[in-house]
Amino acid sequence: MDGNTMLELIDLRAGYDTVRGFVRAVDGVNLRLKSGEFLGIAGESGCGKSTLAYAIMGLLRDQARVESGAILFKGRDLVRASAEEWKQLRWTGMAMVFQSAMNALNPVLSVGEQLVDAIHAHRKVSEAEARAMAVEMLALVDINGDRLKSYPHQLSGGMRQRVMIAMALILKPDLLVMDEPTTALDVVVQRSIIEKIAELREKLGFSVIFITHDLSLLVEISDTLAVMYAGKVCEYGPARGLFDGPLHPYSRGLMNSFPSLTGPITRMGGIEGRTPELLALPPGCRFAPRCPEAVERCREAEPALLPAGADRSCACWLHGETR
Amino acid sequence: MKYFLRKLGMLLFTLFVALTINFFLPRLMPGDPAQALLGKMENIPPEQLDSLRAAFGLDSQEPLPLQYVHYLGNTLRGNFGVSFSRFPMPVAEVMRIAIPWTLALMGISTILSFIIGTGLGILAAWRRETRLASLTVGVFSFIRSFPYFWFGLVLIYFLAFKLRLFPIGGAYAVEATRGSAAWWLSVLDHGILPALTICISSIGAWLLTMRNNMINVLAEDYILVAMAKGLPLRRIRSLYAARNAILPSVTGFAMSLAFIVGGGLVTEMVFSYPGVGYMLYQAVNAKDYPLMQIIFLFIAASVLVANFIADIVVMFLDPRVRDGAK
Amino acid sequence: MIKGFLRTLVSNGKSLVGLLILGAFILIALLAPIIAPYPPKADRVETVVALGPPATNEEQIKEETPSADLDILTYRSTTTKDYQKVIHYFPLRAKPSAAHILGTDQAGHDLFSQLVWGSRVSLFVGLSTGLFVTLVALALSLVSGYLGGIVDDVISFFTNVMLVIPGLPLMIVIAAYITMRGVAPIIIILCISEWPYPTRLLRSQVLTLKNRDFVRVSASLGERTSFIVFREILPNMISIAMAEFFAMSMLAMLGEATLEFIGLGNVAVVSWGTILFWAQTNGALLSGAWWWFLPPGLAIALVGTSFVLINFAIDEISNPRLRKR
Repeated sequence: MDGNTMLELIDLRAGYDTVRGFVRAVDGVNLRLKSGEFLGIAGESGCGKSTLAYAIMGLLRDQARVESGAILFKGRDLVRASAEEWKQLRWTGMAMVFQSAMNALNPVLSVGEQLVDAIHAHRKVSEAEARAMAVEMLALVDINGDRLKSYPHQLSGGMRQRVMIAMALILKPDLLVMDEPTTALDVVVQRSIIEKIAELREKLGFSVIFITHDLSLLVEISDTLAVMYAGKVCEYGPARGLFDGPLHPYSRGLMNSFPSLTGPITRMGGIEGRTPELLALPPGCRFAPRCPEAVERCREAEPALLPAGADRSCACWLHGETR
Repeated sequence: MKYFLRKLGMLLFTLFVALTINFFLPRLMPGDPAQALLGKMENIPPEQLDSLRAAFGLDSQEPLPLQYVHYLGNTLRGNFGVSFSRFPMPVAEVMRIAIPWTLALMGISTILSFIIGTGLGILAAWRRETRLASLTVGVFSFIRSFPYFWFGLVLIYFLAFKLRLFPIGGAYAVEATRGSAAWWLSVLDHGILPALTICISSIGAWLLTMRNNMINVLAEDYILVAMAKGLPLRRIRSLYAARNAILPSVTGFAMSLAFIVGGGLVTEMVFSYPGVGYMLYQAVNAKDYPLMQIIFLFIAASVLVANFIADIVVMFLDPRVRDGAK
Repeated sequence: MIKGFLRTLVSNGKSLVGLLILGAFILIALLAPIIAPYPPKADRVETVVALGPPATNEEQIKEETPSADLDILTYRSTTTKDYQKVIHYFPLRAKPSAAHILGTDQAGHDLFSQLVWGSRVSLFVGLSTGLFVTLVALALSLVSGYLGGIVDDVISFFTNVMLVIPGLPLMIVIAAYITMRGVAPIIIILCISEWPYPTRLLRSQVLTLKNRDFVRVSASLGERTSFIVFREILPNMISIAMAEFFAMSMLAMLGEATLEFIGLGNVAVVSWGTILFWAQTNGALLSGAWWWFLPPGLAIALVGTSFVLINFAIDEISNPRLRKR
């Protein structure tokens, strides 16, 4: 692997134990993220993208676990990292922004206290220095320093998410993982957050993994895109190329779908049906039952993710002729 | 501030409701217990008769609303009538003797059980995988199903009667001079067993509430964020988990307190501890209605005030409540 | 819905133990006449013997005086021309023996029989109060939560007020004013002091459900209120209502025992609470008669624990976070 690689996932399998057995939410994912790269991961809810994010951060909990594979962060395999190593690496090396800032911020501590305790956990600095760092970071996300005393409920939704971003970046990590960071916000605020992230990436030069169900948003802001379906990457390539011509029928469907106005219950406009149950996967291609273009072969054997043109790959039998 | 005023208003209104219940209860009861009582008692001194009249509105010429106004006025002036069983002692005087014992016993044991139960609840949730945690939860759930008074009897039987570690009842050694060191020691000696009864019986309630709250809070994203930030576990447990989990516990103080006070009263009865509970027991047996009424009022008022204090504590613990956002 | 719920209860270890304990006690209560060796209020056994030959008759007529410390006849017999009636009085305040495995009380009643028969009253008062309070709370919370507005304001205001008025002192005062006949008054008093607890909890559940998508959709589609309330909201309240039922039954059982122990119940009724009342009145504790006051309390605690266990399971079913990992 070259020195420019920030993160590499090798045949990663992760999921969670249930009474009915192990549900493999991430099923053999291979991805590579270069230093400074903006990788977007798209897919409907239940496709395993969040499990992937939590696995990368080592934050899988309850019954969830990494089953096999490797997560190489700057060449170091995190799957085998000890709790202590994780503790030192998280927030200094990689940090995360969650879907709902309201839930990710402790309601009874002020914004300042929550920013400062992240600093104190990793750096031996005085209270005053830590506060200065916090004010500086808040300024980067356009929040006035006297907001340090504010409590989460006193901020607007957009401000809370910007506080979360400031908190994630406070120790200048190399990688920022964002799990649906804008889903809970309205469109205008969403736009401003996205622009803020782009601006900060310019300034600070971190890599980003940005996870959302909104593919049309991702093609605008990402360098590279991975589309996930039922635990697998079904298309991967530069955002530009995917925007100009998605290869996988699922990607096409996602591109055509529009976000619903009612919020979380998004109905995918372009695709009929629902994501398959991971414990009862259809034979052949996992997308075949919903695919408008499926042929007999799709229902018999599963296609692998194979190169399909420059820098791109796709897991679909219909791209056999390009191979 | 709005929150404070709302809670204060609620306190005053509930006090008023308690007063009203107290007024109407004897007047609404079927079978007219007062008349029966009057029939039984012969040569009632006039003061006692007045007291009875005040309590029941007997052969009063006044219409009910006027009686009610007079009752409220008497209550505000601290005029609660005369005790039947300790005639001619005013019931307020009887209460003055009983209240310190109850406040000390119940106050100390309730605070202790809250602290211990909540602490154990935090630990039981934090280390919920361990055998010790499940065992603690199991044992206290079992104890919680005991009737307080019965648990008191069991403790008396084994610790006081069989092993003779503690006195069997009462609150102090009668032979000691009041206020002397020996007397204070005897007070301590007599207080341990009833306090233990209230404490152990009520720990379970706090423990289970706190454990469930903690488990809910531990599943929140901000706990995950705190872990990810690499905070020391102690800090996560106290400032992130327990600090949030205790809020519903303090709010739920109302419900639990009403039970614990009830249990404490019966505990006093079992131990012949000369507090308000034992007084209530004696009043019930002697059909001393004026005394019963003031005791009910006192208990209701103390529980209401304790709740009000809990509401104020929540205000300090939860910034959302301070701002009236919740 | 209810069937599925019960099946889940049985499959959970904790609730299975709880259900077994509760079932055992209910069985004991139902089979009391078979299990208990004597009727609860019996202080003697009468046997009628046909007259035999005169020689043995003389023996039977003999009156026996039991040990000196008990100043009462244990045996007495009357003889007529055709038969002889032998009355065997039970000893008073006897220690456990083969004839009375938990001894007898001050009036010679067999304590084991009383314990068995007493389960009827204690369980009946507990469960029926629990049921009644839960039904009242369900009705109030559905009306209050679903209709909202002024109805909700009034109901929830009074719920909150009554919630903080301490229940036991209120029960004691009410009970002191009325004469207890049977157990109905006790059930009414328990209901009066218990109703606010489940009402508040169930109301907040109604409010949560009301804002769920499926209810909103139905409401926007113009479904009848009765359909939404009974077909969509009510079925989703079963587990929480069951939990409240068991919690309130337990409270009622403890409350009943407490009132009776203080002497405010009907002391002529045989229940676990009145056994404890008589034990206390007769100084069972200080005469070391543990067989008198320990078993009724243990019985209450066991039934109470069975309720707690069932509720643990219901909590786990309705709140996945509480489930064991």
